[in-house]
Amino acid sequence: MRRYVQTPGRIGEFSELSVRQRAEPLDLVYMGYGLLVVALVVASYLLGAFGWLPHDPQAMNVGLINAVPFTSGHLLGTDFLGRDLQARLILGIQAYFLPGLLAITISVAGGSILGILAGYKGGWFDTIITYFDNLLDSFPRLVLILLVIAAFKPDIYYVMVVVGITGMPVIANLIAGKIAFLRQKSFIEAAHALGLPAHTVVLKHILWLNCRALLVIQATLGMAEAILVETSLSYLGFGVQEPTPSWGNMVQAGANYFLQGNFWPSTAPALAILATILGFQLLGDGLNNLLEGKRRK
Amino acid sequence: MDAPLLAIENLRTYFFSRAKRAFIRSVDGVSLGVARGETLGIVGESGSGKSVTALSAAGLVTAGPGVISGHIHLHSNGARRNLLDGLEKYARVTEQDGRVMAVEKDERGWRKHSETLMAGVRGKEIAMIFQNPRSALNPYSTIGKQLVETIRLHTNFKGENEARERAIHWLERVRIDSPRLRFDNFPFGMSGGMCQRAMIAMALSAEPSLLIADEPTTGLDATIQSRIVDLLAQLKTETGTTTLLISHDISVIQRLSDHIAVMYGGTVVETGRAAEVLAPEAKVRHPYTAALLASIPSADTIRRKSYLQAIEGEVLDTIEVPRGCRFYGRCNRVTEAIRENCAGLEPPLGDVASGHKVRCWLYPAARKA
Repeated sequence: MRRYVQTPGRIGEFSELSVRQRAEPLDLVYMGYGLLVVALVVASYLLGAFGWLPHDPQAMNVGLINAVPFTSGHLLGTDFLGRDLQARLILGIQAYFLPGLLAITISVAGGSILGILAGYKGGWFDTIITYFDNLLDSFPRLVLILLVIAAFKPDIYYVMVVVGITGMPVIANLIAGKIAFLRQKSFIEAAHALGLPAHTVVLKHILWLNCRALLVIQATLGMAEAILVETSLSYLGFGVQEPTPSWGNMVQAGANYFLQGNFWPSTAPALAILATILGFQLLGDGLNNLLEGKRRK
Repeated sequence: MDAPLLAIENLRTYFFSRAKRAFIRSVDGVSLGVARGETLGIVGESGSGKSVTALSAAGLVTAGPGVISGHIHLHSNGARRNLLDGLEKYARVTEQDGRVMAVEKDERGWRKHSETLMAGVRGKEIAMIFQNPRSALNPYSTIGKQLVETIRLHTNFKGENEARERAIHWLERVRIDSPRLRFDNFPFGMSGGMCQRAMIAMALSAEPSLLIADEPTTGLDATIQSRIVDLLAQLKTETGTTTLLISHDISVIQRLSDHIAVMYGGTVVETGRAAEVLAPEAKVRHPYTAALLASIPSADTIRRKSYLQAIEGEVLDTIEVPRGCRFYGRCNRVTEAIRENCAGLEPPLGDVASGHKVRCWLYPAARKA
């Protein structure tokens, strides 16, 4: 059910509706949850960066191996070396935050540039981008990442550069498509006719005004993607290396004790991964519905 | 008489059809002059090269090979500029018995060169308004912001607030109701007519020497069309901006123009003072102009319930241009005496009266020229 409420104010004015009035209730729930996750991620990153942790994440306690949650001050229990899970979980976000931002920056910046070249200049730029896209599509991403790791070293930043580059074609295609759509509307030509310099037209009128929503959505989804990739790699043992904690290697380490009945060392980080990825995905989805107005009936 | 503000000389703008491996001769040797303070109306069917002529003048032709020869002189602020200056350096045209057979053009170099020539001209000296105003405005920005942007770019109103005031002043001048409220409207919140008014405000706010109006009423309702024409007429008397008006609607041209150029198949077939060319009792008239005039519904045709006269045949395919008169295939006034000429030789644009030129073998002026 949708409500139509006219805002009090001068009649004849548009876009006075607040976000709350424009969005579907479900989208608001999605976005609220997504924003909460983002806030928690940022807070955990800061806690980890400043070292404000409940316990020393590296301190081993051989007397307290795989302790259940709530034992002697360990809120989430301990892992197979008796290290505090809560502290390691908070510190684990370090493996995703900056590397994830790097991946997003690379894919958004690179994708925008390629997209603009393909959509605005066209011609052989378009061909190159199509081939680039096909090339990356025909090559499994995980294999590519493993190749890079084999060639260099298992460093999360190397991985994220690959994630960023492989994310570029998607964004490039979206932007090129958007520009192709905008081109039928003659306002780009009109902007040229009004004498606006080319860089103003491209950066302001195309990228900023018309593609910003799309980029924000892609960035949110990109963060979820980055976390997922690191997790898969860690599970294979190629992600962040022990003793530095990441959620992926925590799940992997805990899995060995799972069948012995010690489910929490791997369940806690697994739930964290689930909740976080879900948060980013839902945020992206909610933003998409709100800003791009898709999926409306 | 002082020099015209815009003088186009022998302009040729060609495109290339890959499928047919042949040139599309969109504009084929057009010469026009727009006198200061006057309105020149270019009329013709779709595909006659009207819009391409205007786009060439504004340096907005992007497809290849584009402009290949000619001069476009702009006299404004006491300066005389050739907007196609240096074109010869970039384009080499190979001709064979009067037909262009090959064009070699350094399009990148030319575009770069053209951009430097057009800097400070496009938008500032020559402003343009388009058909379908709704799509000519950025849908994600308010009309106020877009107006402020051009004002700050082209005029001395650089401050945020003074530019805003100026923008509201222009919205008022194009008779948009409650301009202060409309300022914050997005294009989708306004009607097509309103958008066109905003577009006109945007073009005129730079106080250009020349306004190019490319089909300003196309894509609007009939009633709105007439309002926009009224507005353009009012603005013409208020600001005295020289205008190049392009329309396929001869009645719009009739109301707004001082001079007229009738285009067909990439060439000008008749030009002269509007009053003379369109006078109902005119003796000298190009058959194409006559046919266009006969296709306007008038009070007379409605009273007599007679059918409107359509022009037989199709618009000239500017790829396979015939050797003779371009209108020959559709002309209903060919006489036996001149048939040979019509079919085999393109008539020149001959003077039939002072300032009135017709490209037709029917008139002795053409035969003399």
